[in-house]
Amino acid sequence: MTTTANKRHREVKEPHWIEWATGMISALVVVATIALVAYEAWTYADMQPEFSIAITERRQTEGGYRIAFDIANKATATAAAVTVRGEILDGSKIVEDADVTFDYVPAESKSSGAILFSQDPGVREIRVRAVGFIEP
Amino acid sequence: MNGVRAERGDGAGESLSFLIGLGRGAAGAMLFGIPMLMTMELWQLGFYIERWRLFLLLIANIPLLILLAHRIGFERTSTVAEACRDATIAYGLGIVISAAVLIMLGDIKPHMPLSEILGKIAIQSVPASIGALLGRSQLGGQAGKDEHEEDEEEGGAVPDEISTSYSRELFLMAVGALFLNLNVAPTEEIILIAYKMTPWHALGTICVSIAIMHGFVYAVAFKGTHEISEETPRWHAFFRFTLPGYMVAMLISLYVLWTFGRLDDTAPPQMLMSAIVLSFPGAIGAAAARLIL
Repeated sequence: MTTTANKRHREVKEPHWIEWATGMISALVVVATIALVAYEAWTYADMQPEFSIAITERRQTEGGYRIAFDIANKATATAAAVTVRGEILDGSKIVEDADVTFDYVPAESKSSGAILFSQDPGVREIRVRAVGFIEP
Repeated sequence: MNGVRAERGDGAGESLSFLIGLGRGAAGAMLFGIPMLMTMELWQLGFYIERWRLFLLLIANIPLLILLAHRIGFERTSTVAEACRDATIAYGLGIVISAAVLIMLGDIKPHMPLSEILGKIAIQSVPASIGALLGRSQLGGQAGKDEHEEDEEEGGAVPDEISTSYSRELFLMAVGALFLNLNVAPTEEIILIAYKMTPWHALGTICVSIAIMHGFVYAVAFKGTHEISEETPRWHAFFRFTLPGYMVAMLISLYVLWTFGRLDDTAPPQMLMSAIVLSFPGAIGAAAARLIL
């Protein structure tokens, strides 16, 4: 504890055991944090972002069709301004395409978004892929 | 001191000093709230923040204000009732000032949906209300303070006080960290910095944060600097105050990041990274709070 007298704070000589207990726990937490980050620093490899996209929902909406998807970044590097393009393919011909941009897809994380088409793709193939990103 | 003056004094003097107190509170709310009131991300958070997280923040602010009022408040309140009164006034002032400034800045317009208007004001009212309390104490006059100064000398006779004032010390650090965190956490820069940093940068940031915290309080002789008695080894204070302080700053950072939805869908290493970045201002805020409050 601290005694305050004449606007000066002075730490008392005989602290309560709780202060030591808190100090010990904090020291453990801080050391664990540092160890964890140090481990990451040790194993840190300069990777490039790697995306995988999984379509999670296809749904008819008012005046269009919505394809919801998750984009995961497996690498330890974060990507910014990730552009994802969705295309409806009829054979090899692109019938319709639409873009969406993610501000960030953080390292080892997942973001969700959706692409809105004006038509129902029906049985035609849908292709959703990342077409570009910048380093943050 | 309102209460005390009311006992001694005439009605006019009482209401005058109350109005002056309100003015100081409003000034404090402005002074401490302006950086947030003029931050775009906080306006946006006002409508997209998850409502129950906002609710939790608003509720958590109540005990925080009461404890803070009890410690420093307007005129060094002595009773719990007075602390509650001051906390209520500060919260109210925070809401009114936030609403007024947001309307003045054209950020709130009549055609907006009610939930958006409420959200914007509510999220701003938290830092503004802390500012109102600080304004009342830090900008406040000194009249009649001396007699209460005696009571402020904690410890000594009452042994039960020991753990209380230690927890109070941690509480003050939490308030300081929270305040600075609320300033910077909503901005996109925090996560951008976390993405730009390598783990090596993070290690450096942790060490610098802890060093600054310790240095602020013990080494650099600011007003209110804590002294370590001659016989106490220096590392005692480091273990008992600085490391717990950093842990508090870290926890507050995580809470604020979570409240603002910055941890959603993020991997634990990235969460840790953002928390370390945010703990840097948090640590400075925590150290400053120990000195100022």
